[in-house]
Amino acid sequence: MAELLVTLVTIAIVVGAIPGVCNYLILLERKLSAWMQDRVGPNRVGPMGLFQPLADGLKLLLKEEVIPSHVDKVLFLIAPAISVFTALLAFAVVPFGPTDDPGVPSFIRFIIAPGIDIGLIFIFAVGSLAVYGIVLGGWASNNKYSALGGLRASAQVVSYEIPLGMSVLGIALISGSLNLETIMKQQIDGGLMSWNIWFQPLAALMFFTASLAEANRLPFDLAECEQELVGGWHTEYSALKWALFFLGEYTHMITISFLTSILFLGGWNFPIIAEATSSYPFVWLVKLLVLMSKAFFFICVIIMLRWTIPRFRFDQLMELAWRVMIPLSLANLLMVMFVKQFDLSLWWLFLGSCGLFAAWGLISASLRSAEERSRPGYVKRKKAAASHGHGGHGHGGHGHAAAH
Amino acid sequence: MEWFQKNPLALAGLVAWIVGILMLMPGRKATSVRIPRLGLLVTAAGVVLFCAGVGGRGPEFANEVMFWTFAVGALLCGVLMITARNPVYGALWFALSTLSTCGLFLLQSAPFLAAATVIVYAGAVIVTFLFVIMLAQQSGAAAYDHRSRNAIPVTLASFVLLGAITLTLHKSPPAFSKRDLKEEAKVEVAAAAPPTGMMMVSPDNLPKEKPASKPNQLSLETAKLPVGSMKGLGKSLFGDYLFAVELAGTLLLVACIGAIAIAPRREEGAL
Repeated sequence: MAELLVTLVTIAIVVGAIPGVCNYLILLERKLSAWMQDRVGPNRVGPMGLFQPLADGLKLLLKEEVIPSHVDKVLFLIAPAISVFTALLAFAVVPFGPTDDPGVPSFIRFIIAPGIDIGLIFIFAVGSLAVYGIVLGGWASNNKYSALGGLRASAQVVSYEIPLGMSVLGIALISGSLNLETIMKQQIDGGLMSWNIWFQPLAALMFFTASLAEANRLPFDLAECEQELVGGWHTEYSALKWALFFLGEYTHMITISFLTSILFLGGWNFPIIAEATSSYPFVWLVKLLVLMSKAFFFICVIIMLRWTIPRFRFDQLMELAWRVMIPLSLANLLMVMFVKQFDLSLWWLFLGSCGLFAAWGLISASLRSAEERSRPGYVKRKKAAASHGHGGHGHGGHGHAAAH
Repeated sequence: MEWFQKNPLALAGLVAWIVGILMLMPGRKATSVRIPRLGLLVTAAGVVLFCAGVGGRGPEFANEVMFWTFAVGALLCGVLMITARNPVYGALWFALSTLSTCGLFLLQSAPFLAAATVIVYAGAVIVTFLFVIMLAQQSGAAAYDHRSRNAIPVTLASFVLLGAITLTLHKSPPAFSKRDLKEEAKVEVAAAAPPTGMMMVSPDNLPKEKPASKPNQLSLETAKLPVGSMKGLGKSLFGDYLFAVELAGTLLLVACIGAIAIAPRREEGAL
C-alpha cells in the first residue's frame, strides 16, 4: 500500500512539474537565442521577463480553439494527446535522482517505476510510439503541408530509431544490463574514470544526435520546417492543442538530457562532492542537484545547437542515418564485442572510437570527392580556375582588394 | 459441440460475434450510420460473452481484470481493423490490437517480448503502413475501401480456424502446467527477495547454477527459471534456438539484398 502511495505521489509530482519546467524551458530558449543573436529577448512581463511563461500559458489556455471544418475530428483531437502521453510515459523509467541513497526520506523516490529490467528498451518502445502523434496530426489536418510534414516525420523517426538503439547496445554489453539504475550504479561505483563516455565517446555522440532526430528538434525538424511547409504537421493546430505538441517535444528534450547524463556521464556521480562513498548530511540533495545540472547542461546544448547548425536537407538527413550512423554504430558494437570477448582493457574502446571516427571521416570525404568526379558536368578544379583567370569576378573581396 | 452445450454463454457470444462482424463489413445494402454502430455493439457484446463463457475464475482479481481487458481489447481492435472503412483507421486499430497483445505478454511476465513487439510492430511496421496509406490515398478512398469481397466465406473460414485452435488448446494438456511454473517462480522470487512489487524480475534474482541435465549446456532449465528475465531469454534464444535465429537472420539478409538489387538505380530514373 505504501509502495502504491509513493508511486502515485511520484507520478503526481513528475506530471505536475514537467509542464511548468517546459514552460520555463521555452523562456530559457528565447533568452538563450536572444543572447546568441545579440538581442534582448522577452523582458516585458515581470523582472527580466520571468513571468513571460505564465502569460504565455494563460494565452494558450484562453485562445480560441479552432477546429477546421475539413479535418478528421477524432484523430485531429487524439494526435496531441498521444504526443504528450508517450513523452510522459517514457519518463516513467528514468531515474531523476539518487535512487539508492539511504538518506533519502522514505516517501521520496526519484523514479516512477523502479527495478524495471528492460528500462532502456521500454524507453525506445514508448519513444517509437511518439511518431503517431505527428503522423496522425499531419494526416488528420487534411492539408498538403501537414501531410508532407507527417510523411517526413515518419520516415525520419523510423530511420533514426536504428542508430539510436544500436548506439546504446554497446553500453548494454559493457554493463551487462538494460536497467538504467544498474547502468548508473556501475559508473558511480567506479568514479569519474569509469563513466561510459570514456569507453563509448562515439556512441554518446550518435545517441545524442539520433535522439535529437527522434524528438524532431533542430537541426532535424524537417517535419515542421517553416520555410517550406508553413508549420508542417501542426499547421492547422492552435491554442492548447498546439501547446500539447510542444509540451511533448520539450518533455522529450528533458528525457534525452537525463538519459544522456545517466548513460554516459555517470548519473549523479561527480568528483569530490558526490562520490559513491561520500556521506554528509543531505548528500542526496547534492546528488540530485548534480544530476539535474548535468541534464540542464544538455538542455542548454540542445537549445544552442538550434542556433548553430542549419537545418539539413531531407536527403542529407537520410544519408546521415543510413550511410553514416548505422554502419558506424555497427562497427562500434563489433568493437565492444571484440573487447569483451578477449577481455581486453576497456580503454581500447576509447582509442578504437577515435580511430573509427577518423577513419569514417576520411572515407566520407573521399567518397564525396569521388562522387563529384563522376558527375557528368565535372571539370577539374585546377583547369576551371585557370580558365577563369584573374579577370574573374568570383574570387572574393579580399584577394581583389589586395590586387588593386 | 459437447463443450458448447456445457457453455451456452460462449456459444451465444460466438453467434453474436459473427453476426456483428457481418453487420460491420462494409458494402452491405444499408450504409447508413446506424448499422455499423449497432454492429459494433453486437460484436462487443459477443466478444465479452464469449470471453466470459470461456474464461474461468482465477485467484488474483487484478490480474484477471487486466487479462480480460487486454484480451477483449485485442480481439475487438482486431475486428475493427478488418471492418474499418478508412485504411488509416484500420492501421490504427491494428496498432491498438498489437498494444493489447503486448499487455498480455506483460501479464505473462515477458516484458522483453512486449517491448520488442511494440518497437517492431507498433513503432515501425504500422508506421510504415501509415506512410504508404498516406502516400496512396491522395485522391480519397478507393472503391475497394467501400466493399468487402466474399465477406461471408472469409468470416466463416476465419472462425473455423479460431474454433480449431481453441478446441486444440482445450483438448491437449499443456506442455507444462502453468500453475506449477507460477508457484515455482513465486518460491524462487520470494527466496531471492524481490526489490519491488513489479512483476519483472531482475537478472540478479536468477536461481543459482543447477546441475545441468539438458543436452545443451547453454540452456537454462525452463521450469526453474523466473519467467521474464533477459538472461534466460538470451540464453534460450542463442542456445536452444540458435539455428532458427541464424536462419531467420540469413533470410532477412537475403531479402534485404534482394530489395536493393531490384530497386531501380539513379540512372534508371529513381530519385
